Amino acid sequence: MKIARTLFTGSLLAYTGLFFAFIYIPLVVIAVYSFNANPVNMMTWTGFTTEWYAQVLGFKTKVSESALYIESTGQLLQAVWNSLMIAASTTAIATIFGTAIAIGLYRFEFVGQRFYRVVMFMPMLMPDIVLGIALLIFFVNSGIRLGLTTIIIGQCTFLISYVFIVVSARLAGMDRTLEHASADLGANEWMTFRRVVLPQLFPAIVGGALLAFIISMDDLVITYFIAGVDVTTLPMFIFSMLRRGIKPEINAIAVMMLSFSFVVASLGLYLRSRQK
Amino acid sequence: MTLLPCTSSVPMPGVREMSIASRRRFQLAVLLGPVSAFLAVFFLGPLAIMVVTSLLAPGLYGGVEWTFYPHNFGRILGFADPMFEEFDPIYIAIFLRSVEIAALTVLATLLVCYPAAFCIARLSERWKNFCLFLITLPFFTSLIVRLFVWVLILRQTGLVNEMLLSTGLIERPLDLIYTRGAIILGMTYVFIPFMFMPVYASVEKLDWTLVRASLDLGAGPLRTFWRIILPLTAPGIAGGAVIVFIPALGNFVVPAVLGGAKVMMFGNLIEQQFLAARNWPFGAALAMMVMTVMLIMMIAHVVLSGRRSAAAALAR
Repeated sequence: MKIARTLFTGSLLAYTGLFFAFIYIPLVVIAVYSFNANPVNMMTWTGFTTEWYAQVLGFKTKVSESALYIESTGQLLQAVWNSLMIAASTTAIATIFGTAIAIGLYRFEFVGQRFYRVVMFMPMLMPDIVLGIALLIFFVNSGIRLGLTTIIIGQCTFLISYVFIVVSARLAGMDRTLEHASADLGANEWMTFRRVVLPQLFPAIVGGALLAFIISMDDLVITYFIAGVDVTTLPMFIFSMLRRGIKPEINAIAVMMLSFSFVVASLGLYLRSRQK
Repeated sequence: MTLLPCTSSVPMPGVREMSIASRRRFQLAVLLGPVSAFLAVFFLGPLAIMVVTSLLAPGLYGGVEWTFYPHNFGRILGFADPMFEEFDPIYIAIFLRSVEIAALTVLATLLVCYPAAFCIARLSERWKNFCLFLITLPFFTSLIVRLFVWVLILRQTGLVNEMLLSTGLIERPLDLIYTRGAIILGMTYVFIPFMFMPVYASVEKLDWTLVRASLDLGAGPLRTFWRIILPLTAPGIAGGAVIVFIPALGNFVVPAVLGGAKVMMFGNLIEQQFLAARNWPFGAALAMMVMTVMLIMMIAHVVLSGRRSAAAALAR
């Protein structure tokens, strides 16, 4: 019996090891091969190079044949800039709206509150493609020109939900005796909110904002439908590159994107673990 | 308190309370008003317009004609008037194929996550948190990048084929990419965090004294699993299944990248109607199918979990 148990625990541990290998080995593979010098067959190692990174970042242009592939580094940088602009705007709007709605739904009482909370989950659960085409039909019919504005509005519809969920989870778990104490000691509502509620809420708001920022930077489907012809974001840029064929430069872009989101996500998750 | 307009007037019983109530109402309106308006216009509005569009006739050159036209659905479901639209069973076939792929994805993510959840739930606090961090981390990295990695691994000159060729196990590269299996693999990879979190939450809450009691009373490990562990973790499995199935069903990025032109899913069909065929009403009707499945699953989930918690309350 004891041997059987040890065997069982051992195989469970091994399985979990495989589980993490499945998640992380592909990412390690791409990181390693992004330094592969072979321009034709990216998975046959021929030597170490940082050329692809140099090309993507614009330090070198058109050294090898495949460098022609990125028509210009300018296009890529424009896509990165667009994504950052969109993410900054949507994060600001979604954080304010999401926090407001969370406070409204968790610090007030009114008829239909429960229903409202359920409705707030809908934009998150709605399949991307459905929301994407619904927004496309809406914007085209209402005569709003597709572009940065429509992307920002469209992304906000579901990003608000994400911020709402993070902030409301914190609000629901917060100790309200401090608020009562503050009120008893003569602070008015605004003072209590600013000095007691907001400081406790702050990590959740930052966490929600980071989440919104990352999801906005990563959103492909909804943006794809409502971007129009003039605006390209970073995920759209990579998606169209993938559809045309794969060249080593994408590797370098991918690894840089992975590193960036790893840093931001680690920061966000760290902040969230701090508040517990 | 300075906001109160009645503080200077003669205090009457009840006045103060009433003004507090009205002030709360004002604050609530400030908090919820703008957001509600925003979501009503830009979330519910578009969905409503999509529903309407799905019942309109396609115009020439991608436009819409304002006449009631149920034939969009008829074309999909089989009651089309041949005067207007032709019923083609291919749409149902693609829909069913997408349902099947989504269901297999749910199954695969469950098989991957369920045993790991048990293992991680029994680790020490520090390791547990670290593992959870490692599992949530990919969720924050770019989806398109994570799919691209699998293109590099699976394609004709990809990692797997190169390794097998160099060891001499195969002579010609295998067709790994642009298959149904590649789509399911890609989706499983992408949706792991979606399944893991709800499953883990229910595994961690599992009352192990019940498991021990079952074993003590003579039930074998298999029977204990079927009768105790599985039912107790079922809510997590159901929750994970719903949030994996819904985005998998309408997905068009994974099949576009890993399925190529060979394996088409419902999401690709919808995309085509909007960006290539320019038949928006028909595309909207197709999207309505996805939305209907989503609503049915959500309602079923709410009703079933409500019934479960009611049963649990009765049992107490």
